[in-house]
Amino acid sequence: MKPRLTYQPGTSFLHRMHPLVKLAWLLFTTVVAFVVPSPWLVLGIVGLTGVLFLLSGLRLGGLRGLRLLVGTALLLALLQVLFQRQGAVLFELGPLAPTTGGLASGAYVGGRFLAVVFCSYLFVLTTDPADLAYALMQAGLPYRFGFALVTALRMVAVFEEEGQTVYRAQLARGVQYDVRSPRRLLILARQFLLPLLISALGKVDGLAVSMEGRCFGKYPTRTFLKTAPFTRFDGFAAGLLLVTAAATVGYLVMV
Amino acid sequence: MISVQDLSYCFPGRTDEALRDVNLDIAPGEFVVLTGPSGCGKSTLALALTGILFRQYDGQARGTVQVGELDARECPIYDLAEVVGLVQQNPENQFCTLTVRDEVAFGLENRRLPPDEIARRIDWALHVVGATHLLDRHLATLSGGEKQKVAIAAVMAAKPQVLILDEPTSNLDPAATADVLRTIAQIRAEAALTVIVIEHKLSFLSPLAPRLVRMAAGQIVADGPIGPGDRASPWAGRPAALPAPSRDEPPLVWVKGLHAGHNGRPVLHDLSLQVHPGEFVAVMGDNGTGKSTFLLSLLGLLKPAQGCVEVAGQDTRRTPASRLARQSAFVFQNPDHQLFADSVWGEAAFAPRNLDLLDAATTQWLNDALNRSGLAGREEEHPYRLSYGEKRRLNMVSVLGIRPRLLLLDEILIGQDRANAAFLLELVAEEVRRGGAAVMVTHDPDVVQAYATRVLFFENGTITVDAPPAAAFQRLAAAGRRPYLPRGWVEEMRR
Repeated sequence: MKPRLTYQPGTSFLHRMHPLVKLAWLLFTTVVAFVVPSPWLVLGIVGLTGVLFLLSGLRLGGLRGLRLLVGTALLLALLQVLFQRQGAVLFELGPLAPTTGGLASGAYVGGRFLAVVFCSYLFVLTTDPADLAYALMQAGLPYRFGFALVTALRMVAVFEEEGQTVYRAQLARGVQYDVRSPRRLLILARQFLLPLLISALGKVDGLAVSMEGRCFGKYPTRTFLKTAPFTRFDGFAAGLLLVTAAATVGYLVMV
Repeated sequence: MISVQDLSYCFPGRTDEALRDVNLDIAPGEFVVLTGPSGCGKSTLALALTGILFRQYDGQARGTVQVGELDARECPIYDLAEVVGLVQQNPENQFCTLTVRDEVAFGLENRRLPPDEIARRIDWALHVVGATHLLDRHLATLSGGEKQKVAIAAVMAAKPQVLILDEPTSNLDPAATADVLRTIAQIRAEAALTVIVIEHKLSFLSPLAPRLVRMAAGQIVADGPIGPGDRASPWAGRPAALPAPSRDEPPLVWVKGLHAGHNGRPVLHDLSLQVHPGEFVAVMGDNGTGKSTFLLSLLGLLKPAQGCVEVAGQDTRRTPASRLARQSAFVFQNPDHQLFADSVWGEAAFAPRNLDLLDAATTQWLNDALNRSGLAGREEEHPYRLSYGEKRRLNMVSVLGIRPRLLLLDEILIGQDRANAAFLLELVAEEVRRGGAAVMVTHDPDVVQAYATRVLFFENGTITVDAPPAAAFQRLAAAGRRPYLPRGWVEEMRR
């Protein structure tokens, strides 16, 4: 079975990089992919992401939903090639007349989609979400918001398991998942979600008791046992990001 | 240390009082066990001692609750938390983080202790509960007993003067139960604090010689040392529920070389057995040894990786679960996970209606069953308004409405008091006497002794004991599996 799109533990340099430096690189790359309309740049980002996947010990080909992503990127590119009329005509085939402008635009739009998605994948697969939450809290995010993220992460796994139990309990009672009409779909959805909702409310109650009983919210700030180490490599990566960002802004101003 | 005077409490929207004129004094260092039937007010009293009852619920209270120097009715929860620590029934519901280290540190970080002090307290708390080796583990990878130990350590780390544990062993197998209760004894020895345990499993606690406070209908009805009567099995002295089955009829279940697992992870290894009509099979074993996986395989909810399972001659590999459900009924652990309709009647008729079996005879049977379950007259109520015990009875009525030949029951007695458990077990026994068979996962050896005709003991995905109860207990005793023996056997071994 292909791995789920969640954190995959590892020891690569990307795994060890400070979560906030990684997040800053992700945001920068996303912004650049949108504001610099260069097909070469976005295709370069896609290529670089592929190299980083390899260096992180992750298999790009092993990702769930990869075919759908690549198919979507190709569809976006194809639409540009078919309907973008700028530039010289490459060839004519009945009503179709692809142009050099259309080809460039297709490469840019499809490449941009893949660049943003692959960079996000790389971030998600190499960053422990709890480490990210703790790093954000230590960087100034109010800890109530940070722990909303941490508890949500915990509950996702719990509800995945409970959803499976409810589904099995329904099969055992003769429920057939045959969607014959929108009304039937609504009934099935309600029968499935109601037990989960009731369970969630019970869990929220228990969690509130547990958190308050351990002084959560007593003070406006709290201490942290765990701190994300900011290494020399993180300093280098952050510096490189600043230089690259400055160069990009300079390039955009000059162009 | 604790003084409760004339405490009464009524939850909002209810007319009956959850606590009625409760008076209780507990001295520093005392070890108290609170016991009583489901819904008698034990957990409500625990919430009152932590102050949470008065802050989180907008109910009506009378009387006083003094914990140390603090008035629990007026004092903020944060201040009471410095004195009283509460460990809830299900550790899953109280974990706030993802790893053992973060979980034990959580309360200390909230109190703004410096990191080096937090590290020292984590080491101490995990040492006290005997879980130092778990420090770097993710919570999701822990067993039930390990989770409970971490939950206790997370509360202990704040060094409270009073520790309250609300049914800390209800989800645990007998081995883990014995381990957690040993931990509680160790805490008393090392930390010298007042301990209040809400618990039904009195035989496990009796060696610790606690003071036993018994509650019923919101009141304290007895208060004194634990006695020999409390150690006895609640099923002692009753005649065997079922005769030894004959194996002349063709098997209802035929398992042949079954291998099964979850997401590619193997759990069951090469199981082969038959279950005949008239058999009440108890499935025992530590948590995580494949008992629930086995039950899921019997209803085709989990397909075999190798081998096959036949139920009433139907191969589960080729028969949809919805068709197998006509012959077999499955009751899962948590009643809330299997209530799907808007009314008690709708819920009772849910499975028969789905399977097109709701004829006049079934309707009559369901009405009778609701009547026997104490649910007559409440057919229009929403199932979620029922008590925990009532929900469980409704679960049983609903699955029995299809008149199944095979009953598959996964720890259905958890959280049920003696009366409710007896009602459920009699329903099962009736179906077996009628010519059906039951396969029930349970952690209660006393129930097994009183009802089962056969025991399957699971270890690491294989069946290591398959015998009638008396022979099975002898083999478990020889294997050193003492927590799995009925109380009578344990007393016998003591002598």
